[in-house]
Amino acid sequence: MTDFKIHHRDGEGVSVIELKGYLDAHTAPDLETAFQKLLTEKKYNVVVNCRDLSYISSAGLGVFMAYVEDIRKNMGDIKLTNMSPKVYNVFDLLGFPILYEIYKDEQEAVSRFKQIKK
Amino acid sequence: MRHAHTQPGTLYSKETSDFLPLFEFSNVVNSSLDLDFILSTVLRTLMGKMLVTRGMVFLKRNGKLFQIITAKGVDHSVIGQTLEIDRPLRSLHAVAKLPKDTAAWIEFLNYHQQSLIIPILSQRRIVGYITLGERLSKPSYSATDKRLIQSLVSLSGAAIEKALIIDQVKEANRNLDRKIQELNTLFDLSKEFNIGLDEKKVVRLVTFALLGQIGVKKYALCLRDHDGLNIIESRIEGSANLKSILPSLCDLEHSATTQDLLKQKTYRIAAAQLIQIGITAVVPMHIQHTTKGMILLGERLRGGMYTRADLEFLYSLGNLAIISIENAHLFKEALEKQRMEDELNIAREIQQGLLPEKLPSIPGFDIAALTIPSKEVGGDYYDIITRQNGDYILAIGDVSGKGTPAALLMANVQAALRALAPHCTSVSETTGQINDLTCANTRSGSKFITFFWGILDAQTHRFRFSNAGHNPPFLLRKDGTIEGLEEGGLILGVFKTTTPYAEASVTLLPGDVLVMYTDGVSEAMNQHNDQFTEEQLEVILKESTHLSAKEIIQRVQQALESHTQGTPQSDDITMLVLKAV
Repeated sequence: MTDFKIHHRDGEGVSVIELKGYLDAHTAPDLETAFQKLLTEKKYNVVVNCRDLSYISSAGLGVFMAYVEDIRKNMGDIKLTNMSPKVYNVFDLLGFPILYEIYKDEQEAVSRFKQIKK
Repeated sequence: MRHAHTQPGTLYSKETSDFLPLFEFSNVVNSSLDLDFILSTVLRTLMGKMLVTRGMVFLKRNGKLFQIITAKGVDHSVIGQTLEIDRPLRSLHAVAKLPKDTAAWIEFLNYHQQSLIIPILSQRRIVGYITLGERLSKPSYSATDKRLIQSLVSLSGAAIEKALIIDQVKEANRNLDRKIQELNTLFDLSKEFNIGLDEKKVVRLVTFALLGQIGVKKYALCLRDHDGLNIIESRIEGSANLKSILPSLCDLEHSATTQDLLKQKTYRIAAAQLIQIGITAVVPMHIQHTTKGMILLGERLRGGMYTRADLEFLYSLGNLAIISIENAHLFKEALEKQRMEDELNIAREIQQGLLPEKLPSIPGFDIAALTIPSKEVGGDYYDIITRQNGDYILAIGDVSGKGTPAALLMANVQAALRALAPHCTSVSETTGQINDLTCANTRSGSKFITFFWGILDAQTHRFRFSNAGHNPPFLLRKDGTIEGLEEGGLILGVFKTTTPYAEASVTLLPGDVLVMYTDGVSEAMNQHNDQFTEEQLEVILKESTHLSAKEIIQRVQQALESHTQGTPQSDDITMLVLKAV
């Protein structure tokens, strides 16, 4: 069946979520749980590393939409990084580049958060 | 002749000098598929050759509408503007020589000091226009200039159209990608919904798909239950108002934008209210033409209006969701039904477990019993217990109600009887005790039991009995007389015993038949709801006293069958027959 894994690690003031495999209607609730956890732990600076993400469906994108408001309300953000062209194409088709900051690599996104802090 | 020959010769050499750059220009323009590059090159080349400081390129968009794609030497804010050029110009024209009517486009060209307008033709169709300002060096364009300009523009016409088509193909491809993405979304969800989810999870996933595919911040999802459309999930401020608007949207046949609805008389008021709380699109969810739910959406975060295609997609998504939700409900109902059936089976097992597996043989008596449980499981019970002193206890009862509660209460009465009867001396006192125990186990008045029981002395054949509200058993004497055994008192389980139960006794002589039965026998109904009646039962029994106990029961059963004619049995049927031999 579809395989999806979420790995979560905390850097200095920035939480990095690594997504692996298929993010679709079946696995979207897992990502939702991860975001809910970040909110309860008051971690609002989030970088989502999509290096090993092989597929994303609309339901998967919807999870980002459902949580970005709450996160931004708390002066945080969700920044996306390391997308494969295939995954980026879906983001692009649905107009997400207007709504989210997307970076080539994780470090760039993390340092963005640090710049704002200074 | 010679003269004539030289004159064109000079002209030729002049045009040949222009020919090489033309060839080069054609190569550059035709080797590119980038529309912006081609248009810039054409305009730049023309302006360079003619020493012109102002120029624009218009491309045909729709009918007479032309859009400014490139402009040089004029205010850049004109780029992107559209102009209606209502007169097709198939050849180069001087703007000054165009008829000075009120056409806005001529005014526009004059305002921006454009003095030449040249059509861009591809296969004789006008795909756009190039306009140029006045030449710097000379006051006006010569005929040769105009020929050169026309040549350059016609050389680029095919390239421009090719680039235009490529752009359209790219756009079509992107639209196709979007469609595929939409189909993927529907497929993704339907795959997930097939697993059989509950309503809550379906709603959650639909929400995610909406957020992802359409990109909205404000939304609400409503579902119909018995009292109309209810808001299940909402991220709209002022949802309270929303509920009052919903009923007027119930007949909406297809998804629509609130702007569209505003133009329809039926929905004008509702649409205005929806717009006020920031809703831009309404998507009804239908099952067989009934509105079972509704999705309301705010504006799209990435901008742009909802297109017809978006609304179509949303309608499909909504219908997929509502079918899944309906399925979830049906599944839940089926589970509930299964649970009830399981409970009935338990009740049936309890009831069957209460009945004697095998009737004891009583010396001097012929005994037989019949019990046919109804489909719904009632609370009939009969029992025969052998006492240590050789006496026998015979009992029959009927609990009000059906199902597990009835079966459990009957189990209670049996337990009381079995605990008290083996050592008791007084039938009436024991009946009182059983009643008290039963009262303790029923909430007052909610359940009751009709009960008849007695002790048969195996030596003397005396039968002492007490009847707590049960159908009086028939005692059919050998001489043809019939007695009803009525002595006793109130039904069990309603009031604590204050007045003692009465008891009586009869002595059974050879040939006497005692028939105990429940109202399932006397009240058995046919298709016209006519009961079998005690009177008919009495008639049958009277004719059957010469038969064995078992045959008597068979005879009654036959009579019941011919009365009911296959009408489903609504109550348990129980009979216990004791014949002295």
